[in-house]
Amino acid sequence: MRQVPSGAALHARLIWRRNRGQIGLFVLLALLLALYAFLHPGLLSWAGIARFTQNWFPVALVAIAQTLVMLMGGIDLAIGATVGLGTVLAATLVGESALGAGLGITATVAIGVAAGGLVGTIVALFGLPAIIVTLASSFLIGGAALLVMPRPGGSMPGWLSEGLVGVHPTALLILILILVAWRVLRATPLGLSIDAAGDNPAGAFRSGVNVALARIAAYAISGGLAAFAGVYVAAQTGAGDPLIGNPLTLQSITAAVLGGVGFLGGQGTIRGAVAGSLLLAVLVNVMFFLGLPPVAQYVMQGLIIVAAMGIKRLRERAA
Amino acid sequence: MSNAAPVLAAQGLVKRFFGNPVLKDVSIEIVPGRVHALLGENGAGKSTLVNLLSGVLSPDEGRLLVDGQPCARLTPALARRHGIAVVQQELSLAPHLSVVENVALGAVPTRRGLIDYRRLAVEVGRVLDRLGLDVALDQPVEELPLGRRQLVEIAKALYRQPRVLILDEPTSSLTAHEVQALFKVLAELKREGTALVYISHRMNEIMHLCDWVTVLKDGTRTADRTMDGIDPPALVRLMVGREPGDLFPPFRSTTRDEPALEARALTAPGVGGVDLVVRQGEVLGIGGLLGQGQEELLLALYGALDAQAERLATGGVDRPSRNPADAIGRGLAYVPADRKREAVLLPLSIGFNLTLPGLRRLARRGLRRFAREAEVARELTAKLNVRGGGPERAVQLLSGGNQQKVALARWLPLSPKVLLLNDPTRGVDVDTKREIYLRLKGMAAGGMAVILLSSDALELVHLCDRVLVFRDGRIAADLPHGQASEEAIVAASLGVARQEAA
Repeated sequence: MRQVPSGAALHARLIWRRNRGQIGLFVLLALLLALYAFLHPGLLSWAGIARFTQNWFPVALVAIAQTLVMLMGGIDLAIGATVGLGTVLAATLVGESALGAGLGITATVAIGVAAGGLVGTIVALFGLPAIIVTLASSFLIGGAALLVMPRPGGSMPGWLSEGLVGVHPTALLILILILVAWRVLRATPLGLSIDAAGDNPAGAFRSGVNVALARIAAYAISGGLAAFAGVYVAAQTGAGDPLIGNPLTLQSITAAVLGGVGFLGGQGTIRGAVAGSLLLAVLVNVMFFLGLPPVAQYVMQGLIIVAAMGIKRLRERAA
Repeated sequence: MSNAAPVLAAQGLVKRFFGNPVLKDVSIEIVPGRVHALLGENGAGKSTLVNLLSGVLSPDEGRLLVDGQPCARLTPALARRHGIAVVQQELSLAPHLSVVENVALGAVPTRRGLIDYRRLAVEVGRVLDRLGLDVALDQPVEELPLGRRQLVEIAKALYRQPRVLILDEPTSSLTAHEVQALFKVLAELKREGTALVYISHRMNEIMHLCDWVTVLKDGTRTADRTMDGIDPPALVRLMVGREPGDLFPPFRSTTRDEPALEARALTAPGVGGVDLVVRQGEVLGIGGLLGQGQEELLLALYGALDAQAERLATGGVDRPSRNPADAIGRGLAYVPADRKREAVLLPLSIGFNLTLPGLRRLARRGLRRFAREAEVARELTAKLNVRGGGPERAVQLLSGGNQQKVALARWLPLSPKVLLLNDPTRGVDVDTKREIYLRLKGMAAGGMAVILLSSDALELVHLCDRVLVFRDGRIAADLPHGQASEEAIVAASLGVARQEAA
C-alpha cells in the first residue's frame, strides 16, 4: 500500500516536478547574473535592482503572454500591437479622463482581455491557424491604437509614474504577484485544463476537458498581460505611443522559446517564460557592458532562438 | 447473472462511410456483471461499433438504449455522464503532466474552486493500488514505459467508476505480470456489477476472461452467444468466410526461378529477424493483424527505416538500402498506404505526378522534355485506365481509386524489379479494386516481383503465390497458395493452432 501524501505535500511535489528540464536554464541565468554583477557592481543596490527590473518587466510580461499562447500550439503576432494599444489607452484613460488611475488601468487591461479572448475564440471555435489570425489582429489592434492616438501623446499622472518606475522595486513586486496569481490559477481545474489542452488537445478533449474554453482563457489572459505591459510602458515614458510595442513581439517569442516552450505547443511553464525573458534582458546588458554594438543584439536573438530549439531537439532525440 | 437488464443496448445499427456500409444491422446488449468479448477481423467494424456505443459517431439507422431508455443522440459527454468509459488503444494522456493529474483530468475534485489535492492523492492512489501500478503520483507520464502508460489510461477510466467499461486491446503493451493484475481488477469489477466489453486479438485472454461473445464479420453480426462450450477454432470460423464474388481474377502463378530479393535475418524497428525470398514474377502476400511489423518490413526493404541483415540481396547488391533513393536505384518501388500524404502531390497535375519519379531519365542534358513527358503520361493513364480527366487535371480531383492508380503507375517508367505495395486497395471502390488486381497480376506476369501487404485476408488468399503471416515482428506462418485460406491466415494471425480436421 502506498503512503498517501497530504494535499499540500502533493501540490508542492507537483510544482517542483515542473522544474525538470529547466535546471540548465536557471544555472545559466545565475552565471550570467553573476557576470553582469561583476561587470556592473551598481546592480547590487536598490537603485540598480529597480532600474534593471524596470527594463526587464515589460519583456517578462509579454514573455508570459506569448508562452500562454504558444502552450496552445499557437503563436501571437499581435502582442506588440496590444502593448501599443495598452500605452495609448492608459495615456488617455488614466492621464486624461475622469476615470482615475484605478478604473483607467482596469479598463485598459479589460480591453486587452477582450481582444485576446476574441482572437482565442476565433482560433478555438473556427480552427483557423493562430499565426494568421494573430497577424490579422495585429493590424486590427495596431490600427485601433493609431485611431485612439495617431502620434505619441497623452500623459500619465506623475505620482503613478513615480510609483511604478521610481527608485524602488515595484516592478519586481508586481511580477511576483503575477507569478503567485498564476500558481493559484494553475491549482484550479481551469489552470490544469490550460496545461492539458496544450499538451495533448485530442486526449484532453476525450477526457472531458473543455479544450475550447481553455484555449480562449489562455488567449484572454495573454491579451490582458500585454495590455498591462502597455500601462507600464506608458508610465515609463510618460505618454502613449501606438508603435512602441512592436519590437516586443519578437522579443516575447525569443523569451518564450528560451523558457522552454516549443513551436508545437506544450511543455512551457510560466516561470520558464520569466526566466527566459530575464536571460534575454541580462544578455543585452552584458553585451552592452562588453562593448558590443547594439546591432549585435539582433544577431544574438536570432542565434538564441535557433540554439534553444536545437538543444531542445537534441535532448528529445537523446531521450 | 445474464438475466440482468442491459445497461447499454444497440438495436439494428447501420453505419456508412461515404456510402460504404461498415456496420449492417448490428444489435448488441451490454449487461452488468458480464464480460462481453467483441471479435472480428481487421475492418470487420469493431471500432465503428465501439465509437457508436461511446457517442463518438452517431448511427445512420438503428437506436441506442441506455437503461432501456432510447437515447436520441449520444455524445461523448453524454456517454460519460451515463457512466460509459472507453480505454482506447491510442493514448489520451498529456505526456508532460503527472500521473495524478492525468488520471483525474476532466473530473478533478475541487474545494472552494481549487483542486483538492488531498482527495486527489487518496482517490487516485486507491485506483493505482488496485491496478498494482507502483508509480509516484507526481511522476510525469512521459517518463513511464509504454505498458505503465497503458495502465494509467486504464486507471483513468476506473477513476470515473464507470458502469460500462469498454477496453480496446488493453493488454497490447502490458507485461504478463501487469496483465494478471488487470485481470484481477476486471474480475472484481465484474463481481461488483460493472458491464465490461473486451476487445482483444489474444484468444487465450478471451477464453479466460469472457462470458459472452459477439462476432462481427464484414459489418454484420455472425454470432452473439455465450462463451460456454466454444473453442478458439470455432471462433475463428465465425470470423471468416466472406464471399469473394467475381472480384478476383482466376489464379495463375507466374513465378520464375530467379530470386528478385533475398533477405536473411533482417531486423529493423518492429521487425525481429525475418528470412524471405521473393522470386521474379511472384506475388508474395504479407498478412497478419495490424501493426505486427508488416509495414516496418516494407519500409526497411525500401531504406526508409534503419535495417540490419545478414544478407539482403537485390539488384545485384547485397546490403540494406541506405535510403529510399538508394532503394529506387536498386530497382525497388514502394506504394504507401497513405497515398495522399506519402505518394501523390495532390494539387499538381496527373501528368506531373506520373512523370516525377522518372523525371531525370526523361530529361536530356538536364533539361526537361515536355513533349516526351506528355507522351509518357498519356501512355500511363491509358495503361492503368486512370479515369477522371486528362493528364493536366489535378490529382486531388480524382477518386481515391484513381489516385491509387496514379500512385502505382508513376513507378512504371523506372521498370522496378520489386514492387512493395502497402495495402493498395484500402478505401478503394470495388471496380477499381478489380482493375488494380488485374494490373498487379499483369506486372507479375511481366517478371516483376510483387510484395503485397494487405489488411484484407481475401486479397492474400486469391492473389498471392505465398502468404507470410506476421505476428510480433516475425513470420508466424508461411502459407503457399492453396493452403492460405482465410481461416488459416486469421488463425495464424491470432496464434490459434488450427485443427486440420475441423
